[in-house]
Amino acid sequence: MKKPIATIGAATSLALLTIGMGAGLAQAQRGATPPRASAVDPASTYNGPRTPDRKPDLNGIWQALGTAHWNIEAHSASEGVPAGFGVVEGGTIPYQPWALAKRNENFQNRLMADPLRKCYMPGVPRAMYLPFPFEITQTPNHIGIAYEFAHATRTIFLDGTAHLDDLDFWMGDARGKWQGDTLVVDTVSLGDKTWFDGAGNFHSDALKVVERFTPMDATHVNYEATIDDAKVFTRPWKLSMIIYRRLEKNLELLDYECAEHVYEKLFKKRGGQP
Amino acid sequence: MRTSITIAGPLLAVLFLPGAGGAQDGRGAPPAGRGVAPNANYPPYARPVSAYSPPRTADGQPDISGLYVAIPLPRGIETPLVPMANRAPNRANSEFSYSLNERPKLPEGAIARPVGVDPADGKIPLTPEALARRKDIIANQGKIEYLDGRVLCLAPGVPRTTISAPVVGYQIFQKPGYVVIFYEQNHLYRTIPLDGRPPLDPNIRKAMGVSRGRWEGNVLVVEVTNFTNNLSNNWVIGAVSATPGVPAESLTTGHGIPHSELYRVTERYTPIDANTIHYEARIDDPKVFTQPWTIAYYAFARAPKNYVPVEYACFEGNDKNLLLMTNTDISGIRVDVP
Repeated sequence: MKKPIATIGAATSLALLTIGMGAGLAQAQRGATPPRASAVDPASTYNGPRTPDRKPDLNGIWQALGTAHWNIEAHSASEGVPAGFGVVEGGTIPYQPWALAKRNENFQNRLMADPLRKCYMPGVPRAMYLPFPFEITQTPNHIGIAYEFAHATRTIFLDGTAHLDDLDFWMGDARGKWQGDTLVVDTVSLGDKTWFDGAGNFHSDALKVVERFTPMDATHVNYEATIDDAKVFTRPWKLSMIIYRRLEKNLELLDYECAEHVYEKLFKKRGGQP
Repeated sequence: MRTSITIAGPLLAVLFLPGAGGAQDGRGAPPAGRGVAPNANYPPYARPVSAYSPPRTADGQPDISGLYVAIPLPRGIETPLVPMANRAPNRANSEFSYSLNERPKLPEGAIARPVGVDPADGKIPLTPEALARRKDIIANQGKIEYLDGRVLCLAPGVPRTTISAPVVGYQIFQKPGYVVIFYEQNHLYRTIPLDGRPPLDPNIRKAMGVSRGRWEGNVLVVEVTNFTNNLSNNWVIGAVSATPGVPAESLTTGHGIPHSELYRVTERYTPIDANTIHYEARIDDPKVFTQPWTIAYYAFARAPKNYVPVEYACFEGNDKNLLLMTNTDISGIRVDVP
C-alpha cells in the first residue's frame, strides 16, 4: 500500500525527512558505468548525429506542433482553440462510462478546472506537447528535460536507479533505457491531479506512461506514449505525434513563469505593486 | 490514497532562523556581536587556488557533471557567525538533511568563514534608498506584496538558488557547448551556453537570468544578466525573517533587497577536488548598491552514491500557506495559457 505522503506545509517539515529517507532507501546504482554501447540498431533508419556512446543525439531544443495541448482527440475549432486531427490512436479514448461522464464534466468546467491554468506542472505526457519548447540534455546515465512552461523538469535515469516507492510527483518518476535507437521511458507515480490536455481528459493515480522516442533523422522524433490506467480506461491506449527540433540560431529557452502571472493579476486587482 | 509532494515556501524561512547553521559556521571563532563587522575575526579572503584538474568531457570541458548537495552555510549572508554554544538547538541539522544522514563537509584545510568577502567588512553596501526599502519590507511582512519571492514559490534567481536551503540537491549536466544545472529547489534550471554568444535583448527577462559561460582553465565563469524585475518580490538575496534583536539598519540581516533592471552577477565555479566545488558570486546593481560586492563559499559537495533527487513542487498547494500567512486567497486565480 502506498503511504499518503506530503502536502508539506510550514509545520510539516518532518515529512521532508521522510521523503529523504525514502530517497535514500532506493536501490540506486548511481555512478555505475553504463553498459557498453551496443552496436547501432540494425533495424533503425536513423542517420543523424550520435553521442560519443553511439546513441542518437537528442541534445537540443524541441517542440511539438499541432493542437494536442488543447484536445488530444479530434476537434473543430472553437474560440481561441485551433482545430486538430487528434493524436489518439484509433481516434477515441477508451474511457469507462463513469470516466467519460467525468471527462465531459471537466470539459464544461475547463476554464476553471484545467490544472495548467492554476500554473501547476503539466505532468506527462502533456508536458511534451505544450505550445512551448523544451530542451533535452543527454548523458549516458541521465537525460534531463527542461520545459519552458513553469520551468518544469524531468530527469530520466538510465543508470539502473529504481523507481521510488510511496511518492507521487507532478512530473512523475521516469526511468529510461535505449532499445536500439529508440529511447523508452517508463514513468510512474504521476498522481491524479494533471490532465492530458485542456479539454478535460484525465487519469487517476494508477497511471503508467511508457514513452518511445524514436528519432527519424537529425531533426524529427516520432513520439509515442502508451497510457495505462485501469481505473479510468477500459484498455491501454496510445497517442503519437512528431516532435520537431527547433533550428533557430542561438535559440534558448525563455520563461513562462506562470506563477508570476498569478501574482501580477493579484497585485493588479489590489491596485498595483508597492 | 496518495497525495503529491508540495513543499511550501514557508518551510524555507526556517532555514534562516537563528540556529540553522551548518558546516561553515566558524565554530571556535570568537563571538562577533552586533556592530562588529562579520569578517573582523577572519583573515582576508583569497580565492582558493586548486591543483585539482578534473577529467575532461568528450568535448574537452573540465568534467564537473554529476549530482551534488549543498554544503550548509552560516545562517545569513552578512550575519555574524555565532559560536555553536550560543545557538538555539540546531533544527537544520535535525530536520533538513537533504536526504542525507550526514551533512556534507568542507574540504580538508578549508577555512570556515562568513560568506560576504568583499567589501572587506563583509557588509552589503546598500544605498540609503535600498536600506529604506529594506526597512519597509521588514515592517510589512504580513502583506503578500512584501513577502520574499521564494515564499511565493517564485524563482529566486542567482545567487540565491546556490544558497543552501532545506531541499538543495543540484544536478550538473554537461553537453557539447553547454553546462546545464538542475536545482532540486523548486525544480529550477539554467542552461549556460559556452560559445561566447551575445547577451539577449534587454527586453527579454528571465527569473533565473540569462547566463553566458566560459571556462577559464578549470574554473567555470558565468555572467548572468537580464533578470526579471516585474514584481516587488524579486529579491536579490536574503530571508523572510529578520534575526531577532537586529535592527534593519544594522546591515546584518541580509534580507529584503529587491534588485533593479541593472542587476548582474558574475559567478565562478572552482572545482577544489573530485567532490567539492567552491562558489563565488560578484553582485552588481548600481541602483541598489554603492559598489559591487562578493560572496564566496564552498557550495557543492558531490552527493552520496544513493542520493536520488526528488521533485520539489513549491507552487502547487502553496495557496493554503499564503492564506495562512497573509490572509490572501489566490486559489481562484486562473492564468491564460496559450
